[in-house]
Amino acid sequence: MASTPAKRIIQQVRPILSVDRDEAKRRVLSLYKAWFRTIPFILHKFDIPKNEEQCRAKLREEFLKNKDVTDVRVIDMLVIKGQMELKEVTMQWKQKGHVMNYWKETVEPKPQDFLSKFLSGN
Amino acid sequence: MASLLRTISCGLRNGLAQNSGILSATRRLKHTEPAVTEETRPTVRKFNAVQRAHFVDFGKYVAECLPKYVQKVQLTSGDELEILIAPEGVLPVLQFLKDHHQAQFVNLVDIAGMDVPSREYRFEIIYNILSLRYNSRIRVKTYTDELSPIDSCNEIFKAANWYEREIWDMYGVFFANHPDLRRILTDYGFEGHPQRRDFPLTGFVELRYDDEKKRVVCEPLELAQEFRKFELEAPWKQFPNFRKANPATEEVDTKKTESK
Repeated sequence: MASTPAKRIIQQVRPILSVDRDEAKRRVLSLYKAWFRTIPFILHKFDIPKNEEQCRAKLREEFLKNKDVTDVRVIDMLVIKGQMELKEVTMQWKQKGHVMNYWKETVEPKPQDFLSKFLSGN
Repeated sequence: MASLLRTISCGLRNGLAQNSGILSATRRLKHTEPAVTEETRPTVRKFNAVQRAHFVDFGKYVAECLPKYVQKVQLTSGDELEILIAPEGVLPVLQFLKDHHQAQFVNLVDIAGMDVPSREYRFEIIYNILSLRYNSRIRVKTYTDELSPIDSCNEIFKAANWYEREIWDMYGVFFANHPDLRRILTDYGFEGHPQRRDFPLTGFVELRYDDEKKRVVCEPLELAQEFRKFELEAPWKQFPNFRKANPATEEVDTKKTESK
């Protein structure tokens, strides 16, 4: 059995943008920087009740949501979607409501303990 | 000028004569397809046997010309040709079908998608192309999954621009080298790809106007799980006459038999 060659477990796939993790990481960082530099313009263009610190915190939170993703192609796909969203914001295709949806202010947190679950009817 | 007119009228005649123009080049291929029994049932669509024979020859010809990319050639509903290709062959096959003098499929009618989650490559991308010159339509099918990009055929068919954006929006298939890939049907900020089979009928979020905020807000939606039970069997399966209907697809044998 020991003489059988080790099976190749790494699948050869076509890359979306990046060929290795370093390149993917660079793309993520440049996307983050692009969003970061756009924040003053977003505040200038959209009439939203937020300041720069809040926007930066939200940006950081959105990026850290996917911090556990390790697949290079998934990272690339997320970067592509992030770039598209950045374009939608900078071109003002999105409106005030779309931008404010990042904060989800009207969403009530789901009840966790027994009593609040009981009171909410679940 | 007269010769031009003659060419046009010749083309018209060919078109009227049920595709006798398509692939006269392949006529030299021996036609070995067994004769198909004629359909007599009044409720079943009758196909054109001449057209079918031409399509069989054409399918064999394409498979012979592009053996690297064409994986299978099949006929559906009697006389509709489908060419099943590998995903890396999208550009060469479409360019061949467009530029070959005996095919001239210069119009891209539509790009359709299909999602079968149980497959290894779950998405099928289907190119419907039309040859006005020979009055015929064929389909080119390829496959991919969520993360494998497909080459954009925008350079070959300009019409592909919006169709590919639609596929990207509905299925999340990424098209490499597309000039302007972005959403086309869904709203800005929409998450998910609605035509995927694992996307719930109700969606993940709901929108409503909030009077306090004075704007439209987006909230996650939860419905009871009973709403997601689907009857997947086709409704006509219960009629016994349809059980012994013609097969949906018939494969065209593309093996070379006349090599002797």
